[in-house]
Amino acid sequence: MARSSVQSTIVFEVLRRLTTAAGITIILSVVAVIVSAVVAGPFTLVNAIVTGGMWALLAVGLSLVFGVMNIPNFAHGEFFMVGTLVSYLVFTPLHKYLRQNPSSVLSTVAPFAGIFAALLVGALLGVVVEKLIFFQLRRRSREQWVMNSFLLTVGLSVVMINGHQLLWGTNFKGIPRYWDVKPIDLFGVNISMDRAVALGLAVVTIAIFWFFLMRTRTGRAIRAVAQDETGAQMVGIDLNRIQVLTMALSSALAAMAGASLLFMFPSYPTVGLKPLYVAWYVVILVGLGNVAGATIGGFLVALLQTLTSYFIGVGWEDVVPTALIILILLFKPSGLFGSEVKGVWEQ
Amino acid sequence: MLLEVKGLNAGYGFLQVLWDVSLYVAQGEFVALVGPNGAGKTTTLRTIAGLIPPRQGEIFFKGELISKLAAHKISQMGISFVSESLNLFTAMSVHENLLLGAYVVRDRQKQLETLDFVYHLFPRLKERRNQLAGTLSGGERKMLAIGRGMMSNPDLLLVDEPSLGLAPNLTLDVFNALETLRQQGVTILLVEQNVNTTLHITDRAYVLEQGRIALEGKSKELLENKHVKEAFLGM
Ligand SMILES: Nc1ncnc2c1ncn2[C@@H]1O[C@H](COP(=O)(O)OP(=O)(O)OP(=O)(O)O)[C@@H](O)[C@H]1O
Ligand SMILES: [Mg+2]
Repeated sequence: MARSSVQSTIVFEVLRRLTTAAGITIILSVVAVIVSAVVAGPFTLVNAIVTGGMWALLAVGLSLVFGVMNIPNFAHGEFFMVGTLVSYLVFTPLHKYLRQNPSSVLSTVAPFAGIFAALLVGALLGVVVEKLIFFQLRRRSREQWVMNSFLLTVGLSVVMINGHQLLWGTNFKGIPRYWDVKPIDLFGVNISMDRAVALGLAVVTIAIFWFFLMRTRTGRAIRAVAQDETGAQMVGIDLNRIQVLTMALSSALAAMAGASLLFMFPSYPTVGLKPLYVAWYVVILVGLGNVAGATIGGFLVALLQTLTSYFIGVGWEDVVPTALIILILLFKPSGLFGSEVKGVWEQ
Repeated sequence: MLLEVKGLNAGYGFLQVLWDVSLYVAQGEFVALVGPNGAGKTTTLRTIAGLIPPRQGEIFFKGELISKLAAHKISQMGISFVSESLNLFTAMSVHENLLLGAYVVRDRQKQLETLDFVYHLFPRLKERRNQLAGTLSGGERKMLAIGRGMMSNPDLLLVDEPSLGLAPNLTLDVFNALETLRQQGVTILLVEQNVNTTLHITDRAYVLEQGRIALEGKSKELLENKHVKEAFLGM
């Protein structure tokens, strides 16, 4: 008698956990993964995972900037655009040169030069934007901060899009592929080298970034600023330094995502808009300022998009995630993984 | 003189709260700042800690002018502020909060020593080292805030109302902890509502009323003062 009641409480507890928003999502996505692998073929799944890694990179940066600096960054996609552009500008001449002077070693390395240059330029641009725009606004007034900084990011986005158009025109600047090698055979699925590297880069970067945030002194300081700015100053953390660093990291991640996906997204002025919307889907889906959730969310949204375009049709892949977000916000306004850990006396 | 505040005026927006406040704290002293609600005690500590810019007046720490420095610089110079609202990092563990308290201490060995000391002072915190700060009880939070303030080995500890909202036995624990720190040679400027106990454990005290220093002197003598007896001790 007693034993069965213990068992039923455990069963009940498991059921309760599984019926929370996060539980349901995870169950549904596991089902989706299996269904898509069986019905649509493993290639669709691979595609979803590759783009998912990139959405995760973008969403993590977006989420970090919102968490640490309270800026809803609508120019985030433009850093993706800058990434595609820089990598194109660096890689294409290298590629031409290598066509005339073949060298297998250099051909392997050249794409990384493009991606790395994008990362650097992204970081630098992040520093400039923080110092020239947000720092100035912060010094003037912190009233209506979220609204004002939002408007500034929209303006910044317009300026960057038009800057690209002015200097490099509206034509597509793309490449068919980074690596001219045979696809890799993984469990009977052919994956192009470009996709494999893009996924690898995303996974490694997120892992390093995660370690940095959770385990290092500076990473801890970033989280401290996100949780309590005054408390952070009280323990001796220089807010300005953390703000510059956060903006640089976030922009560098976005630029890197753009650069690694150059073979899928040729560079043109408004190439950043779609990644921007997707990154916002992810961040709203999992809850604002939630970096861990953003990683999972990136993969979830990519999967959802792939399944939608496979089962419903190409062109619908933005409709379904948006509808889902409306539903989620109706029932769980703090997002899927929105946490309720807040001190009684805080906020 | 460790801390010297001269003719301080400060406030928020159009509201001026402090009027010509002057006070000092000598090395090793335990000084109290008492006064009725809204007198400006918290404002005084926040201004010293650099969280509010002073409108007029000067603040010297170890002989250096600090009233124009940013809050993190003042913290790096050796002033720890344990605020009324605690400003804990609620989504981090007790342990991480303490590590962040030692953010300005680069020497790992020193960090670990202080950590040991804090865990020894508040065994409760050691038991709960992996718990999130946001889920601690009120008393445990106070201990964590004081412990975090200690982690940088400050020369001066500013403590704002540590007994607020605590049951009498926990209040006693917190006061005992402050006594221990004081015996370790830490200089403390304490703001408290609990005037009776405070005047019994501190060396000197200032009475702040409507943003001005109304009285100052040895704590023992203030306990006998007629005005203090009437206004704060209910005698
Ligand atoms: N952020 C703020 N903005 C505007 N006015 C403020 C702010 N903080 C405090 N005040 C005002 O400043 C005055 C002094 O406040 P302060 O917190 O320094 O008092 P206190 O002596 O610490 O009081 P208590 O004993 O209640 O903590 C009060 O009238 C209060 O309303
Ligand atoms: Mg107060």
